[in-house]
Parts: sequence; structure tokens; C-alpha cells
Amino acid sequence: MQPPIHLLAARAGFEAPGTELFEWPAIWHLELLGVDLSINRVVLLTFLVVTVIIALFLVAFRNASIVPRGLQNLMEIGVEFVRRNIILEIIGPQGLKYLPYLCTVFFFILFSNLLEVTPGITFPITSKFGLPVFLAIFTLLLFVGVGIKAQGFGHYFRNTLFPSSVPPLAWILIAPIEIISMFLVRPFTLSVRLMANMVAGHLILAVFFFGAHYLAGEARTAVFAAGAVIVAVPIMALELAVALMQAYVFTILTAVYLAGSLEPEH
Amino acid sequence: MGEQTSGNTPGEDANIGWSVMSLLLSGTLTWGGIGWLVDRWVDTKVFTPTGFIVGFFVAVYLVMVRYGEA
Repeated sequence: MQPPIHLLAARAGFEAPGTELFEWPAIWHLELLGVDLSINRVVLLTFLVVTVIIALFLVAFRNASIVPRGLQNLMEIGVEFVRRNIILEIIGPQGLKYLPYLCTVFFFILFSNLLEVTPGITFPITSKFGLPVFLAIFTLLLFVGVGIKAQGFGHYFRNTLFPSSVPPLAWILIAPIEIISMFLVRPFTLSVRLMANMVAGHLILAVFFFGAHYLAGEARTAVFAAGAVIVAVPIMALELAVALMQAYVFTILTAVYLAGSLEPEH
Repeated sequence: MGEQTSGNTPGEDANIGWSVMSLLLSGTLTWGGIGWLVDRWVDTKVFTPTGFIVGFFVAVYLVMVRYGEA
């Protein structure tokens, strides 16, 4: 028996969601020295994430107790995760001075990603390329700065571009690779990895929910709409896991690059 | 706890893994890009694939030299 494809094709076309999902019009137009600083939904959500994180940390730790309870306990789990599973695991005790930055990166990306599965919002601000790029550039500046401070300007770039384990004759081939790897590939892959995961997840959920809305338009196809919604539920759970994973990956890679700057590779 | 054959901590192994991937990608793209620029300059088509291949093997060599005994 043939599947009822003709039922699905009977109505005027379903338009699959595309890049328009990520374009948000300006709510307040602002311009400073020719630079567009307009406020749109993405900017407002960024402010929301920052406000929520600051509020959580302030409320959790304003009257911190030795034996944590409630919100302090919950936030300490997150901070301890970054401290123990990322910093001490990757960098070692000397990396604890970077706990504030790595915690900031982890929680900011985590909460930004979680907007995808937040009812009423359902849009991850990290799907806008500018945000991951900014975070990646900041990470680049940090690990290069840390490397210069730890090893000295000349030693840092010499150890990086001209590894001692490589014969000098090969330096001409190695140096361009090291330059591209450090200053382009690292920040680029950091940012694209985060953005692409969030974009893909958002598009997948949009296809399912927009498709369900389209299929619900007729009684004959309504059962398929219900199926689409049912399938979308575990996908949302998957997106929750991806949100956690991408925050972890970005933070741990930042720690890896910091570790490489603190300890020159042999 | 299971035995660690490399003697490194899991963090060091993770660092090595990510560095290897970064080097292979960077090497291939760097010398492939240089080859593409040379092709545009001298109006040929041979340097781009040559650059990709040379870059890949240089990156493999760099990985072996750096991490071959890790």
C-alpha cells in the first residue's frame, strides 16, 4: 500500500524555515559614530542572560555558608565542576587564577544555549556568529597574553613558531602552519563549533514545530502533526544535552589553550 | 582506576588530541591556501593541490615530531 504522500502534497507548499529565523529587526535604533548599536531581541536576550547569571551568583553567595544549602549548593556544583573537571584536570593548580574567566565563559555560554529550550524564548543567542566570535577572540587574546607573560615575548613566539624538536631546515614549512593554527584556526573552530551546533539544533526544532503547525491545518494530516510534536520532545532533550556539551567544550578548549601557553610544548 | 598507557593525565591526552586535529587542519589549509595564491599569481592550477598535499604531510610530520613519543 502506498503511503499517503498525496495528502501531504495536496496543500500549497510548506516552506521550510531557513536563515530568516536568525534575523531579528531592530526594536530601538541606535547609532554611535556611524556604528549601528540598535537593540533587537538578541541584544535583549543577551542582557537577560547576563542579568540572570549575576543575580544567581549574588543571591547564592551573598551570605555563603561553610555547609552550602539551596542555591549556594547548586551554584557551587557548577563552579566546582569548572574548577575540578576543567582547570585542575587540564591546567593544574596554576590555572586556578583563571577560574573567574572560565566560570564566566562556561555559565554565559550555558545559559545562552539554554535559551533554545526555554519556553517563550526558544532562541539561542549563541547562534548569532558575532557572540561566539567575540568569545573566541577574547580567548585568543587571553592565551596569547598568558603565553607572552609566562615565557616572554620572544621565547613564546619562538617556541611556538620554531619548535625545538623540528630541524631548522623545516622551520620555513612549519612556521606558516603554526601561525595559521594559533591565530586563525583555533578561534575560528572555537566559534564555528559553538555557532553551528546551536544553528543546527534551532533549525531542526523549527522544522518539526513549523511542520507540525502546517500539518495541523487539515484534519487528514493532523495525526502527522501529533507525530511531529512527539518526535520533537526527545529532540529538545537532545538540545539540552548539546547546550551543556557545547558550554563544556568551549571552556575546556580555552583551558587547553591556556595550558599550552603556560607550558611550552617540547 | 584503569591503567594509563601514555603516562599522561587525561587532561594532557585531551590537549594532545585537540592539538593534533588543529595541526592537521591548519597544515592542510595553510599550504593549500599558499598554493592557491601562487596559482592565482602565475595563472596555473597545479600548486593548489600540491599545497594541500605538502601541507598535510608537513602537518603529519609536525605531529609525529611533537607527539610521537607522548
